[in-house]
Amino acid sequence: MDTAQHTILKNLFKGISLSDAEEKSFIELWKACCFKQNELITEAGRMEKYFYVVLEGVQAIYLINQKGEKVVLGFSYVGSPSGVFDSFLYQKPADTFLEALRPSRMLAISRDDYLNLFDNHPSFHTWAHGFFKEILFGRLSREVELLTLSAEERYIAFMQRCPDELKGIPQKYLASYLNMTPETFSRLRRSILY
Amino acid sequence: MVKLLLTPENQLQRLNHLLHAVETLKEKDTTTLNHRPNENAWNVLEVLEHLSIAYAMYDKKIETALNQLHTSNEEPWAFRPRFWNRFVIEGQRPKGNKRPFKMKTLKKFEPQLEKELTPAAVENVFENFQKSYSKLKASILVSRNKEMNHKRITSAIGPIVKFHLPEAFEFLICHAERHKIQIDEILSSHKG
Repeated sequence: MDTAQHTILKNLFKGISLSDAEEKSFIELWKACCFKQNELITEAGRMEKYFYVVLEGVQAIYLINQKGEKVVLGFSYVGSPSGVFDSFLYQKPADTFLEALRPSRMLAISRDDYLNLFDNHPSFHTWAHGFFKEILFGRLSREVELLTLSAEERYIAFMQRCPDELKGIPQKYLASYLNMTPETFSRLRRSILY
Repeated sequence: MVKLLLTPENQLQRLNHLLHAVETLKEKDTTTLNHRPNENAWNVLEVLEHLSIAYAMYDKKIETALNQLHTSNEEPWAFRPRFWNRFVIEGQRPKGNKRPFKMKTLKKFEPQLEKELTPAAVENVFENFQKSYSKLKASILVSRNKEMNHKRITSAIGPIVKFHLPEAFEFLICHAERHKIQIDEILSSHKG
């Protein structure tokens, strides 16, 4: 693992203090994976085997609605965690797909190794508390935006906070994430400055 | 009729559920798997064998069509079947937990199994099914990176129905889903 990858991993697991030997074995638990553009990392109906940390690329998590259309629930990108967490933790078939929208490199840890971290190092419980709290509040704030803001306001709020690498993915994924048609998204992109 | 949108992701999700459901059937004992609701009806193994026969009719055609397609770096395909093929596909698709209507199986699709199967023969039936439908799944995955412009393939019913690849995939999955309901009916008749 090179220094940049190590830094990404350390940033995600900030607050965890490990001795040099413990850190060495922690790093050895992660294996590097590469995915081509459009490759399915996790398929709905299959079990999620890994918890990922993104080194490069953008990934979308989405489900298929009854009309057969993709409904985008979220994205992951450099430095962020990725994977289908409910399937990973509960070992039930995933309801969602995880797809590489751009060529992607990720670090992956298996479920057994992930769970062992909690048994071996109590500080991971504190980390998990903060980690899942952040996810929960992030999802709540998105729910509020979807329920209370107009399409234009949702577009502005998202564009102001979204990293540049996300702005380059196919528009239909961003449109779906913001619960608007690709046509509305395209119109807003042409006419709104944020 | 609703304009049906076919996507590889929707098909993969449903195939994964089917493969998983058949995997759990392996845990049933041989008596259950050999059970027939009446003496003319199929048992679970015959239904699975029928599905493997149905897939085999398309195997080479799908492979040939896929090999002729150019690789694409664009978004994976999404396909809307035209009226006639939509009608043929919808004829197979289960409505909730019901098969739309029963149909007589053509001779060439009938499973030729012994009345009572040994455990080794049972294993063979499952293996055939898993091999066939895992290959179908692999073909759908490959098709996601292909340009979907190709000559249509003749269906197993004959030249009256010619499918584009997404339609052939959909037809096979709907057909298998339809028979999965039949399997559930056979199993509940055994309990009752």
